[in-house]
Amino acid sequence: MLTLRWRLFVNSLRRPNRGAELGLQALWIILGSMLVLLLCAAFFGAALTMFQSERADFLDLLLLALFLIWQLAPILLEGYSPGLNFREVARYPIAFRTYFLLNLAYGLSDPAAIACLLWLFSVWLAVFMARPDLALAAALAFLLFALFNLFCNRIVVGLFERFQSTRKGRERMVLLMLVLLLLPQLLQFATGAWARGGTFRLPPWLIDAINLVREYFPPGLATHAFLYAWPAAFSPFAGLLLCAALFLLLLLRQLRSVFQGEIYAETYKVQRELKVYPGLKVPALDEVTSAIVEKELRYVRQNSRLLLQLIYPPIIFLLLAFYGPGRRMSFAGNPAGLLIGLASFLLLSLPNMAYNVFGLDKEGFGRWLLSPMPLRKVFLAKNITHGGILALLYFVVTLALAAAAPISLLQIATVTVGFFAVLIIQLAAGNMVSVHWPKRIDLTQMASRMASTAAGFTSLLVILPLGAFWAAAGFAAWYWRLPWLPLAIGLAILAAGLKLYSHLLDRAAAYTYAHIEEIAGNLGA
Amino acid sequence: MAETVLQTHALRRTFGPLVAVESLDLIVEKQQFYGFLGPNGAGKSTTIKMLTGLLRPTSGDVRILGRSLATESVEIKRRIGVVPEGLALFERLTGAQLLNFVGRMYGLDRARAAERSAELLEFMDLKDSADKLVADYSHGMKKKTALAAAVIHGPEILFLDEPFEGVDAIAATTLKRLLQRFISHGGTVFLTSHVLEVVERLCTHIGIIQNGRLVASGSLEELRTGVKVAGHDHSPLTLEEIFLQVVGGAKQDAEVLSWL
Repeated sequence: MLTLRWRLFVNSLRRPNRGAELGLQALWIILGSMLVLLLCAAFFGAALTMFQSERADFLDLLLLALFLIWQLAPILLEGYSPGLNFREVARYPIAFRTYFLLNLAYGLSDPAAIACLLWLFSVWLAVFMARPDLALAAALAFLLFALFNLFCNRIVVGLFERFQSTRKGRERMVLLMLVLLLLPQLLQFATGAWARGGTFRLPPWLIDAINLVREYFPPGLATHAFLYAWPAAFSPFAGLLLCAALFLLLLLRQLRSVFQGEIYAETYKVQRELKVYPGLKVPALDEVTSAIVEKELRYVRQNSRLLLQLIYPPIIFLLLAFYGPGRRMSFAGNPAGLLIGLASFLLLSLPNMAYNVFGLDKEGFGRWLLSPMPLRKVFLAKNITHGGILALLYFVVTLALAAAAPISLLQIATVTVGFFAVLIIQLAAGNMVSVHWPKRIDLTQMASRMASTAAGFTSLLVILPLGAFWAAAGFAAWYWRLPWLPLAIGLAILAAGLKLYSHLLDRAAAYTYAHIEEIAGNLGA
Repeated sequence: MAETVLQTHALRRTFGPLVAVESLDLIVEKQQFYGFLGPNGAGKSTTIKMLTGLLRPTSGDVRILGRSLATESVEIKRRIGVVPEGLALFERLTGAQLLNFVGRMYGLDRARAAERSAELLEFMDLKDSADKLVADYSHGMKKKTALAAAVIHGPEILFLDEPFEGVDAIAATTLKRLLQRFISHGGTVFLTSHVLEVVERLCTHIGIIQNGRLVASGSLEELRTGVKVAGHDHSPLTLEEIFLQVVGGAKQDAEVLSWL
């Protein structure tokens, strides 16, 4: 299983002409390994400190963190470490016992599992150093805890594979994971705002409930199983054993049904009457461009991941402007700053759409080449769609902010011109990046990013100097008391940006024609 | 004299040191049903990609409908239909949306694109799946959708790369019906296929490519007279016999897999 995992990983790096991507991936792997080792020291230090400050009862929090990482990381990182679907393994002529053991071995060789075992060992080392008399009991408790985690993780991965067996299930799973990732940030933001106002207190019933969960949840059971003196330690130890046994039984039940050929298929409601909607005509655009814009809008609408990323900044800024103490801070201080922040956040989300314009087309990339029109038109229509969406979001939130805050017309005009200048330059750069580092996007994979790593870095290279330039312009306007200066500079950059856009549009189209096979290969077309 | 609708001259394509297609001279006339055959890796797909603008030739010329593909590709693309190797479908559109979109890309107005999409969905037995995402279609359904997308604008030549591969008998019959109808209305078909029985039944002319070179070309009758098979009786040669004779037949069973 280890050999297979290693081989899958090595093969995933084999891509033609992807030197830059490979280098960055290698960098991520090195940084990831360093982080794991750093966290070993952190887990060890934290556990030791807890013993020294006589708060060893808090050890369960370390185990809780470990539990969450062990269960969630393999799913969140799915795609970074290419996985093996165990529904496929069941096809081979192996006995159920072998299938079961292979599944466990595969789970144990997961990078997240290895990291968690290292951290668990670090905690045990701290127990051994602080209280050698507890080391044996701790080793037993941690072994049971590790087994529980392993069984639980394989059940979670099994459920994940079940969702993965249908396209809709895969996409819903990814959306759920993203919401779970973003929710804590949003909650932190909201509760942080309360806390600053001095009004945030956890209700007593919630504190009682949390304590109850801490007591009886496996991390708490594992901690108490070696911290309590015998016979008080019996019940947490038995509880942990029971948990591990229960999850083992659940895992056996789940694996047996998969082994016996359980399958899930896509469902679809048949339409009674065949109707083909003739499509929309966008005012001021020709028929073909309108058709492409409509197709792109359909793709964006179906991409719940992108939709989430798009609406997130406006929600944050509307919360900041209209909710809690944040409102006082932002409006009393510098309301125009809020507008600049909104524009910047929106522009930072643009690479998700504009830096890999063929990423979602995948096999469909060939259709653009077969169609009787210049590729320039395709880029243009895609840019109109992506730029239009961001512009719409910008205008809606700006109108709401302007209605509620004393933002001058000059400030709105300045930020708006700046927004469009950077937008145009980003779109121009995005077209070039899209054809130099095209990346096939798989919406059913959590780790399948919307653009290549190289694209992410390039967008930063574009936006950081522009940001610095705007900051300098703002400072100059303030220093020389010339409030119109940023607007004038913005208009000049907008004009230059349009010229640059037109130039790079032709370059991107020409590059595409010259590198069709390479681009098609990267898109899987 | 029949009108030449497709002509290549000294067409060549290399991938690094590998020569995929070499000195290919093809002539296809109007209303011919041209089957382009060859073993795996012979250069069939590379050729069809070069003929349809999906791959640039290393050297040589392609003329379609009297125009040069190198200089008048947009005009040529307007008059041809293609089912490429990977089908090139936008899989996150429904079947109906995809056909309507492709129709509009070829310059049909919205009403006509919608009307033809509905007719094609009906003809291809895709009516019940019209509102389903193409991503959720079976392989055969995708093939039929790709063929519908290739004909929606009423092309003069159809280029089809393995249209019958992975398609069930019912879908294959639908495809054949459509192609025969297309030929009878003055169209020309250039297809690659591994299914020799289908090619033999449908094609009027055949070209065989091996190691990137055209090794045989002509009508089925011309090929039959040009190929001699040792020990064969006087019954007409099948396409399979001609093909195996031209490309060098299969290994004898005794030579391989003795353990099976």
